[in-house]
Amino acid sequence: MNDQDYITFEAYISKTLSEEEIIGFEVRLEGDQDFKQAFITYKELHSFLGHKFENEAASKAFKDNLGTISKSYFKTENKSKNTARFAPWKYAIAASVIAILGFFLFNNFSDPNYSDFSNHEHISLTIRGGQAAAIKTAEIAFNAKDYSEADAAFKSLLDQDSTNTEYQYYRAISNIELDNFEEAEALLGKLQAGNSVYQYKAIWYLALSKLKQEDYRSCITLLNAIPEEAEDYKSAQKLLKKLD
Amino acid sequence: MAEKKVHEDQKYIEGLLQNNSFIIKAIYDKFVPKVINYIKLNSGNVDSAQDVIQETLITIYNQAKDKKLQLSCPFDAYFFLLCKRKWLNELKKSNSKEVTINESVLSKHDSALELADETELFEGKQLLFNQMFQQLGTACKDLLKTTFKIKSMEEVAKQLGVTYAYARKKKSLCIGKLTKLVQASPKYNRLYN
Repeated sequence: MNDQDYITFEAYISKTLSEEEIIGFEVRLEGDQDFKQAFITYKELHSFLGHKFENEAASKAFKDNLGTISKSYFKTENKSKNTARFAPWKYAIAASVIAILGFFLFNNFSDPNYSDFSNHEHISLTIRGGQAAAIKTAEIAFNAKDYSEADAAFKSLLDQDSTNTEYQYYRAISNIELDNFEEAEALLGKLQAGNSVYQYKAIWYLALSKLKQEDYRSCITLLNAIPEEAEDYKSAQKLLKKLD
Repeated sequence: MAEKKVHEDQKYIEGLLQNNSFIIKAIYDKFVPKVINYIKLNSGNVDSAQDVIQETLITIYNQAKDKKLQLSCPFDAYFFLLCKRKWLNELKKSNSKEVTINESVLSKHDSALELADETELFEGKQLLFNQMFQQLGTACKDLLKTTFKIKSMEEVAKQLGVTYAYARKKKSLCIGKLTKLVQASPKYNRLYN
Protein backbone atom coordinates (compact mmCIF):
# COMPACT_ATOMS: atom_id res chain seq x y z
CA MET A 1 0.00 0.00 0.00
CA ASN A 2 1.19 3.52 -0.64
CA ASP A 3 0.66 6.68 1.39
CA GLN A 4 -2.42 7.65 -0.58
CA ASP A 5 -4.07 4.31 0.26
CA TYR A 6 -3.69 4.94 3.98
CA ILE A 7 -5.02 8.48 3.60
CA THR A 8 -8.08 7.01 1.84
CA PHE A 9 -8.54 4.41 4.62
CA GLU A 10 -8.61 7.20 7.18
CA ALA A 11 -11.01 9.29 5.13
CA TYR A 12 -13.32 6.29 4.70
CA ILE A 13 -13.31 5.52 8.41
CA SER A 14 -13.90 9.14 9.40
CA LYS A 15 -16.64 9.39 6.75
CA THR A 16 -15.17 12.30 4.85
CA LEU A 17 -15.27 10.72 1.39
CA SER A 18 -17.83 11.88 -1.16
CA GLU A 19 -20.54 9.46 -2.22
CA GLU A 20 -18.75 8.80 -5.47
CA GLU A 21 -15.47 8.14 -3.71
CA ILE A 22 -17.16 5.74 -1.31
CA ILE A 23 -18.48 3.67 -4.18
CA GLY A 24 -15.04 3.59 -5.81
CA PHE A 25 -13.47 2.59 -2.51
CA GLU A 26 -15.90 -0.24 -1.88
CA VAL A 27 -15.51 -1.58 -5.40
CA ARG A 28 -11.76 -1.74 -4.93
CA LEU A 29 -12.24 -3.39 -1.54
CA GLU A 30 -14.22 -6.16 -3.19
CA GLY A 31 -11.80 -6.75 -6.04
CA ASP A 32 -8.37 -6.22 -4.49
CA GLN A 33 -7.51 -8.74 -1.76
CA ASP A 34 -4.28 -7.03 -0.62
CA PHE A 35 -6.10 -3.73 -0.36
CA LYS A 36 -8.86 -5.36 1.65
CA GLN A 37 -6.44 -7.14 3.99
CA ALA A 38 -4.54 -3.92 4.65
CA PHE A 39 -7.77 -2.06 5.27
CA ILE A 40 -9.00 -4.66 7.78
CA THR A 41 -5.73 -4.39 9.69
CA TYR A 42 -5.79 -0.60 9.51
CA LYS A 43 -9.33 -0.52 10.86
CA GLU A 44 -8.48 -2.87 13.71
CA LEU A 45 -5.46 -0.79 14.61
CA HIS A 46 -7.61 2.31 14.55
CA SER A 47 -10.02 0.75 17.01
CA PHE A 48 -7.17 -0.64 19.11
CA LEU A 49 -5.51 2.77 19.43
CA GLY A 50 -8.84 4.37 20.27
CA HIS A 51 -9.39 1.90 23.07
CA LYS A 52 -5.81 2.09 24.28
CA PHE A 53 -5.71 5.84 24.70
CA GLU A 54 -9.30 6.87 25.33
CA ASN A 55 -9.76 4.38 28.13
CA GLU A 56 -6.30 4.60 29.64
CA ALA A 57 -7.53 5.92 32.99
CA ALA A 58 -10.48 3.52 33.24
CA SER A 59 -8.28 0.55 32.36
CA LYS A 60 -5.76 1.49 34.98
CA ALA A 61 -8.46 1.90 37.62
CA PHE A 62 -9.81 -1.55 36.71
CA LYS A 63 -6.39 -3.19 36.90
CA ASP A 64 -5.65 -1.59 40.25
CA ASN A 65 -8.97 -2.62 41.71
CA LEU A 66 -8.62 -6.15 40.35
CA GLY A 67 -5.13 -6.36 41.85
CA THR A 68 -6.44 -5.39 45.27
CA ILE A 69 -9.35 -7.84 45.18
CA SER A 70 -7.10 -10.62 43.93
CA LYS A 71 -4.55 -9.98 46.66
CA SER A 72 -7.12 -10.05 49.42
CA TYR A 73 -8.80 -13.15 47.99
CA PHE A 74 -5.57 -15.09 47.83
CA LYS A 75 -4.55 -13.96 51.28
CA THR A 76 -7.64 -15.50 52.84
CA GLU A 77 -7.34 -18.49 50.51
CA ASN A 78 -3.91 -19.20 51.98
CA LYS A 79 -5.03 -18.49 55.53
CA SER A 80 -7.97 -20.87 55.44
CA LYS A 81 -5.58 -23.54 54.23
CA ASN A 82 -3.23 -23.00 57.14
CA THR A 83 -5.84 -23.27 59.85
CA ALA A 84 -7.62 -26.31 58.42
CA ARG A 85 -7.37 -29.34 60.65
CA PHE A 86 -5.24 -32.16 59.41
CA ALA A 87 -6.90 -35.42 58.51
CA PRO A 88 -4.56 -38.43 58.25
CA TRP A 89 -4.85 -38.69 54.46
CA LYS A 90 -3.66 -35.14 54.21
CA TYR A 91 -0.21 -36.19 55.39
CA ALA A 92 0.36 -37.92 52.10
CA ILE A 93 -0.49 -34.70 50.30
CA ALA A 94 1.67 -32.70 52.68
CA ALA A 95 4.58 -35.02 51.99
CA SER A 96 4.25 -34.56 48.25
CA VAL A 97 3.88 -30.81 48.68
CA ILE A 98 7.12 -30.76 50.63
CA ALA A 99 8.78 -32.82 47.94
CA ILE A 100 7.60 -30.40 45.26
CA LEU A 101 8.61 -27.46 47.42
CA GLY A 102 12.03 -28.97 47.85
CA PHE A 103 12.29 -29.28 44.12
CA PHE A 104 11.33 -25.63 43.62
CA LEU A 105 13.72 -24.44 46.29
CA PHE A 106 16.49 -26.46 44.79
CA ASN A 107 15.69 -24.92 41.44
CA ASN A 108 15.67 -21.45 42.92
CA PHE A 109 18.97 -21.77 44.68
CA SER A 110 20.91 -23.30 41.87
CA ASP A 111 22.14 -20.78 39.29
CA PRO A 112 19.79 -20.42 36.36
CA ASN A 113 21.25 -21.59 33.11
CA TYR A 114 20.87 -20.80 29.45
CA SER A 115 18.84 -23.85 28.52
CA ASP A 116 16.19 -23.04 31.16
CA PHE A 117 15.35 -19.90 29.24
CA SER A 118 16.26 -20.46 25.62
CA ASN A 119 13.08 -22.02 24.34
CA HIS A 120 13.03 -21.02 20.69
CA GLU A 121 9.85 -22.01 19.05
CA HIS A 122 9.80 -23.85 15.76
CA ILE A 123 10.49 -21.25 13.15
CA SER A 124 8.79 -20.75 9.88
CA LEU A 125 10.65 -18.35 7.61
CA THR A 126 9.14 -16.03 5.06
CA ILE A 127 9.70 -17.61 1.69
CA ARG A 128 11.11 -15.26 -0.91
CA GLY A 129 11.38 -16.10 -4.56
CA GLY A 130 14.73 -17.37 -5.81
CA GLN A 131 15.98 -18.42 -2.39
CA ALA A 132 13.20 -20.82 -1.49
CA ALA A 133 15.40 -23.92 -1.32
CA ALA A 134 18.10 -22.27 0.78
CA ILE A 135 15.46 -20.88 3.13
CA LYS A 136 13.91 -24.30 3.59
CA THR A 137 17.34 -25.78 4.39
CA ALA A 138 17.94 -23.14 7.05
CA GLU A 139 14.51 -23.66 8.55
CA ILE A 140 14.79 -27.45 8.71
CA ALA A 141 18.29 -27.37 10.17
CA PHE A 142 17.29 -24.82 12.81
CA ASN A 143 14.18 -26.74 13.83
CA ALA A 144 16.18 -29.94 14.00
CA LYS A 145 18.64 -28.12 16.30
CA ASP A 146 21.44 -28.74 13.81
CA TYR A 147 22.86 -25.32 14.47
CA SER A 148 26.11 -25.57 12.52
CA GLU A 149 24.14 -26.47 9.40
CA ALA A 150 21.65 -23.70 10.20
CA ASP A 151 24.47 -21.19 10.67
CA ALA A 152 25.98 -22.09 7.30
CA ALA A 153 22.57 -21.81 5.62
CA PHE A 154 21.80 -18.43 7.19
CA LYS A 155 25.27 -17.21 6.30
CA SER A 156 24.75 -17.98 2.64
CA LEU A 157 21.30 -16.36 2.73
CA LEU A 158 22.81 -13.26 4.28
CA ASP A 159 25.50 -13.17 1.60
CA GLN A 160 22.72 -12.45 -0.86
CA ASP A 161 20.48 -10.39 1.38
CA SER A 162 22.71 -8.87 4.01
CA THR A 163 20.11 -6.57 5.59
CA ASN A 164 17.49 -9.26 6.25
CA THR A 165 16.82 -9.01 9.99
CA GLU A 166 15.06 -12.35 10.17
CA TYR A 167 18.18 -14.19 8.95
CA GLN A 168 20.43 -12.11 11.18
CA TYR A 169 18.31 -12.96 14.20
CA TYR A 170 18.22 -16.72 13.67
CA ARG A 171 21.86 -16.84 12.67
CA ALA A 172 22.65 -15.12 15.97
CA ILE A 173 20.69 -17.72 17.94
CA SER A 174 22.41 -20.53 16.06
CA ASN A 175 25.75 -19.02 17.02
CA ILE A 176 24.85 -18.78 20.69
CA GLU A 177 23.96 -22.45 20.55
CA LEU A 178 27.35 -23.13 18.95
CA ASP A 179 29.15 -21.02 21.58
CA ASN A 180 30.34 -18.58 18.90
CA PHE A 181 29.45 -15.72 21.17
CA GLU A 182 31.39 -13.03 19.34
CA GLU A 183 29.62 -13.63 16.04
CA ALA A 184 26.24 -13.90 17.78
CA GLU A 185 26.67 -10.73 19.78
CA ALA A 186 27.84 -8.72 16.78
CA LEU A 187 24.62 -9.66 14.94
CA LEU A 188 22.42 -9.04 17.95
CA GLY A 189 24.09 -5.70 18.64
CA LYS A 190 23.15 -4.59 15.14
CA LEU A 191 19.54 -5.75 15.58
CA GLN A 192 19.26 -4.09 18.95
CA ALA A 193 20.35 -0.77 17.47
CA GLY A 194 17.93 -1.01 14.56
CA ASN A 195 14.19 -0.78 14.67
CA SER A 196 13.07 -4.08 13.25
CA VAL A 197 10.66 -6.40 15.02
CA TYR A 198 13.68 -8.12 16.51
CA GLN A 199 14.91 -5.06 18.37
CA TYR A 200 13.82 -6.26 21.83
CA LYS A 201 14.24 -9.95 21.06
CA ALA A 202 17.87 -9.10 20.33
CA ILE A 203 18.38 -7.69 23.83
CA TRP A 204 16.83 -10.81 25.32
CA TYR A 205 19.17 -13.09 23.39
CA LEU A 206 22.16 -10.88 24.17
CA ALA A 207 21.26 -11.42 27.83
CA LEU A 208 20.96 -15.17 27.28
CA SER A 209 24.31 -15.19 25.52
CA LYS A 210 25.86 -13.55 28.59
CA LEU A 211 24.04 -16.04 30.80
CA LYS A 212 25.51 -18.93 28.87
CA GLN A 213 28.96 -17.40 29.39
CA GLU A 214 28.15 -16.98 33.08
CA ASP A 215 28.72 -13.25 32.81
CA TYR A 216 25.86 -12.54 35.21
CA ARG A 217 26.56 -8.86 35.66
CA SER A 218 26.20 -8.05 31.95
CA CYS A 219 23.21 -10.35 31.79
CA ILE A 220 21.42 -8.36 34.52
CA THR A 221 22.19 -5.02 32.85
CA LEU A 222 20.73 -6.27 29.57
CA LEU A 223 17.65 -7.77 31.21
CA ASN A 224 16.93 -4.46 32.85
CA ALA A 225 16.97 -2.80 29.42
CA ILE A 226 14.03 -4.88 28.19
CA PRO A 227 10.93 -2.66 28.27
CA GLU A 228 7.60 -3.76 29.64
CA GLU A 229 5.98 -3.97 26.21
CA ALA A 230 8.51 -6.49 24.96
CA GLU A 231 7.34 -10.04 24.45
CA ASP A 232 10.12 -11.37 26.65
CA TYR A 233 9.59 -8.93 29.49
CA LYS A 234 8.07 -11.54 31.78
CA SER A 235 10.78 -14.09 31.13
CA ALA A 236 13.35 -11.35 31.68
CA GLN A 237 11.82 -10.51 35.04
CA LYS A 238 11.74 -14.17 35.99
CA LEU A 239 15.41 -14.56 35.12
CA LEU A 240 16.29 -11.37 36.99
CA LYS A 241 14.64 -12.75 40.10
CA LYS A 242 16.67 -15.90 39.86
CA LEU A 243 19.89 -13.98 39.39
CA ASP A 244 19.24 -11.82 42.42
CA MET B 1 -23.02 -12.96 17.24
CA ALA B 2 -26.12 -10.84 17.17
CA GLU B 3 -28.38 -13.79 16.41
CA LYS B 4 -27.20 -15.67 19.48
CA LYS B 5 -29.05 -15.33 22.73
CA VAL B 6 -27.12 -13.43 25.35
CA HIS B 7 -26.61 -15.55 28.45
CA GLU B 8 -27.84 -14.24 31.78
CA ASP B 9 -24.24 -14.39 33.04
CA GLN B 10 -23.60 -11.32 30.89
CA LYS B 11 -23.97 -9.51 34.25
CA TYR B 12 -20.43 -10.61 35.09
CA ILE B 13 -19.11 -9.03 31.90
CA GLU B 14 -21.01 -5.82 32.63
CA GLY B 15 -19.72 -5.87 36.19
CA LEU B 16 -16.13 -6.10 34.97
CA LEU B 17 -16.76 -3.27 32.52
CA GLN B 18 -18.12 -1.07 35.27
CA ASN B 19 -15.24 -2.02 37.55
CA ASN B 20 -17.84 -3.16 40.04
CA SER B 21 -15.96 -4.52 43.06
CA PHE B 22 -18.95 -6.48 44.27
CA ILE B 23 -19.19 -8.44 41.01
CA ILE B 24 -15.42 -8.93 40.76
CA LYS B 25 -15.42 -10.37 44.27
CA ALA B 26 -18.34 -12.62 43.33
CA ILE B 27 -16.33 -13.92 40.36
CA TYR B 28 -13.47 -14.79 42.69
CA ASP B 29 -15.73 -16.50 45.21
CA LYS B 30 -17.75 -18.47 42.68
CA PHE B 31 -15.47 -19.34 39.80
CA VAL B 32 -11.88 -19.02 40.93
CA PRO B 33 -11.62 -22.06 43.29
CA LYS B 34 -12.15 -24.41 40.36
CA VAL B 35 -9.35 -22.74 38.40
CA ILE B 36 -6.94 -22.89 41.36
CA ASN B 37 -7.75 -26.52 41.77
CA TYR B 38 -7.11 -27.28 38.13
CA ILE B 39 -3.79 -25.43 38.05
CA LYS B 40 -2.63 -27.11 41.25
CA LEU B 41 -3.46 -30.52 39.81
CA ASN B 42 -1.47 -29.66 36.68
CA SER B 43 1.99 -28.82 38.04
CA GLY B 44 1.11 -25.30 39.17
CA ASN B 45 0.68 -23.56 42.50
CA VAL B 46 -1.48 -20.87 44.05
CA ASP B 47 0.82 -18.09 42.85
CA SER B 48 0.68 -19.22 39.26
CA ALA B 49 -3.10 -19.51 39.58
CA GLN B 50 -3.28 -15.95 40.89
CA ASP B 51 -1.41 -14.61 37.85
CA VAL B 52 -3.33 -16.64 35.30
CA ILE B 53 -6.68 -15.57 36.75
CA GLN B 54 -5.75 -11.91 36.90
CA GLU B 55 -4.44 -11.87 33.34
CA THR B 56 -7.53 -13.66 32.07
CA LEU B 57 -9.86 -11.15 33.70
CA ILE B 58 -7.89 -8.27 32.19
CA THR B 59 -8.19 -9.86 28.75
CA ILE B 60 -11.94 -10.30 29.17
CA TYR B 61 -12.21 -6.69 30.29
CA ASN B 62 -10.25 -5.45 27.28
CA GLN B 63 -12.28 -7.46 24.85
CA ALA B 64 -15.53 -6.34 26.43
CA LYS B 65 -14.46 -2.73 26.23
CA ASP B 66 -13.12 -2.88 22.70
CA LYS B 67 -15.39 -5.40 21.01
CA LYS B 68 -18.65 -5.39 22.99
CA LEU B 69 -18.27 -8.96 24.22
CA GLN B 70 -21.59 -10.82 24.40
CA LEU B 71 -21.68 -13.97 26.44
CA SER B 72 -23.49 -16.82 24.71
CA CYS B 73 -22.61 -19.45 27.32
CA PRO B 74 -22.23 -19.61 31.12
CA PHE B 75 -19.44 -17.38 32.41
CA ASP B 76 -18.01 -20.33 34.29
CA ALA B 77 -17.38 -22.41 31.16
CA TYR B 78 -15.85 -19.50 29.24
CA PHE B 79 -13.67 -18.26 32.09
CA PHE B 80 -12.45 -21.73 33.05
CA LEU B 81 -11.55 -22.55 29.47
CA LEU B 82 -9.57 -19.33 29.04
CA CYS B 83 -7.67 -19.84 32.31
CA LYS B 84 -6.97 -23.45 31.45
CA ARG B 85 -5.58 -22.60 28.02
CA LYS B 86 -3.47 -19.80 29.41
CA TRP B 87 -2.02 -22.13 32.00
CA LEU B 88 -1.28 -24.90 29.53
CA ASN B 89 0.43 -22.39 27.28
CA GLU B 90 2.53 -21.23 30.22
CA LEU B 91 3.53 -24.82 30.85
CA LYS B 92 4.36 -25.31 27.22
CA LYS B 93 6.58 -22.23 27.25
CA SER B 94 8.48 -23.16 30.37
CA ASN B 95 8.97 -26.84 29.66
CA SER B 96 9.04 -26.70 25.89
CA LYS B 97 7.24 -30.02 26.23
CA GLU B 98 4.30 -30.85 24.07
CA VAL B 99 1.11 -30.25 25.99
CA THR B 100 -2.09 -31.43 24.43
CA ILE B 101 -5.17 -29.53 25.33
CA ASN B 102 -8.00 -31.95 25.74
CA GLU B 103 -11.24 -30.12 25.43
CA SER B 104 -13.59 -33.02 24.78
CA VAL B 105 -15.01 -32.70 28.29
CA LEU B 106 -16.21 -29.27 27.41
CA SER B 107 -17.94 -30.10 24.19
CA LYS B 108 -21.33 -29.54 25.75
CA HIS B 109 -20.50 -25.86 25.63
CA ASP B 110 -19.52 -25.41 22.02
CA SER B 111 -20.27 -21.74 22.26
CA ALA B 112 -17.74 -21.51 25.10
CA LEU B 113 -15.06 -22.94 22.83
CA GLU B 114 -15.98 -20.56 20.08
CA LEU B 115 -15.99 -17.58 22.40
CA ALA B 116 -12.70 -18.60 23.98
CA ASP B 117 -11.14 -18.86 20.50
CA GLU B 118 -12.32 -15.35 19.75
CA THR B 119 -10.91 -14.04 22.99
CA GLU B 120 -7.58 -15.73 22.40
CA LEU B 121 -7.35 -14.27 18.94
CA PHE B 122 -8.20 -10.87 20.35
CA GLU B 123 -5.49 -11.22 22.97
CA GLY B 124 -2.93 -12.28 20.37
CA LYS B 125 -3.71 -9.24 18.26
CA GLN B 126 -3.54 -6.88 21.24
CA LEU B 127 -0.12 -8.22 22.09
CA LEU B 128 1.14 -7.85 18.53
CA PHE B 129 -0.36 -4.35 18.15
CA ASN B 130 1.24 -3.21 21.39
CA GLN B 131 4.61 -4.58 20.39
CA MET B 132 4.50 -2.96 16.97
CA PHE B 133 3.29 0.34 18.41
CA GLN B 134 6.46 0.42 20.47
CA GLN B 135 8.51 0.10 17.28
CA LEU B 136 7.10 3.34 15.88
CA GLY B 137 9.21 6.48 16.06
CA THR B 138 8.55 8.96 18.85
CA ALA B 139 6.89 11.46 16.52
CA CYS B 140 4.26 8.94 15.39
CA LYS B 141 3.71 7.61 18.89
CA ASP B 142 3.10 11.10 20.26
CA LEU B 143 0.86 12.11 17.40
CA LEU B 144 -1.29 8.99 17.75
CA LYS B 145 -1.49 9.34 21.50
CA THR B 146 -2.66 12.93 21.19
CA THR B 147 -5.03 12.16 18.32
CA PHE B 148 -6.88 9.43 20.14
CA LYS B 149 -6.95 11.18 23.49
CA ILE B 150 -8.33 14.43 22.13
CA LYS B 151 -10.98 13.44 19.66
CA SER B 152 -11.20 16.67 17.69
CA MET B 153 -8.55 16.85 14.99
CA GLU B 154 -8.76 20.65 15.01
CA GLU B 155 -7.79 20.61 18.65
CA VAL B 156 -4.96 18.17 17.94
CA ALA B 157 -3.62 20.36 15.14
CA LYS B 158 -3.68 23.36 17.43
CA GLN B 159 -1.90 21.56 20.19
CA LEU B 160 0.82 20.25 17.89
CA GLY B 161 1.16 23.58 16.12
CA VAL B 162 0.43 22.18 12.66
CA THR B 163 -2.41 22.63 10.17
CA TYR B 164 -5.52 20.51 10.32
CA ALA B 165 -4.82 18.88 6.96
CA TYR B 166 -1.27 18.04 7.95
CA ALA B 167 -2.35 16.49 11.26
CA ARG B 168 -4.89 14.29 9.52
CA LYS B 169 -2.46 13.20 6.86
CA LYS B 170 0.14 12.41 9.49
CA LYS B 171 -2.35 10.36 11.47
CA SER B 172 -3.18 8.23 8.40
CA LEU B 173 0.48 7.72 7.59
CA CYS B 174 1.39 6.76 11.14
CA ILE B 175 -1.40 4.18 11.35
CA GLY B 176 -0.28 3.13 7.86
CA LYS B 177 3.23 2.57 9.12
CA LEU B 178 1.84 0.56 12.01
CA THR B 179 -0.27 -1.48 9.56
CA LYS B 180 2.88 -2.29 7.61
CA LEU B 181 4.77 -3.34 10.74
CA VAL B 182 1.89 -5.56 11.83
CA GLN B 183 1.55 -7.16 8.41
CA ALA B 184 5.28 -7.80 8.21
CA SER B 185 5.38 -9.58 11.56
CA PRO B 186 5.83 -13.35 11.47
CA LYS B 187 2.81 -13.62 13.76
CA TYR B 188 0.52 -11.86 11.31
CA ASN B 189 -0.40 -14.88 9.21
CA ARG B 190 -1.24 -16.95 12.23
CA LEU B 191 -3.60 -14.28 13.51
CA TYR B 192 -5.29 -13.39 10.26
CA ASN B 193 -5.78 -16.74 8.57
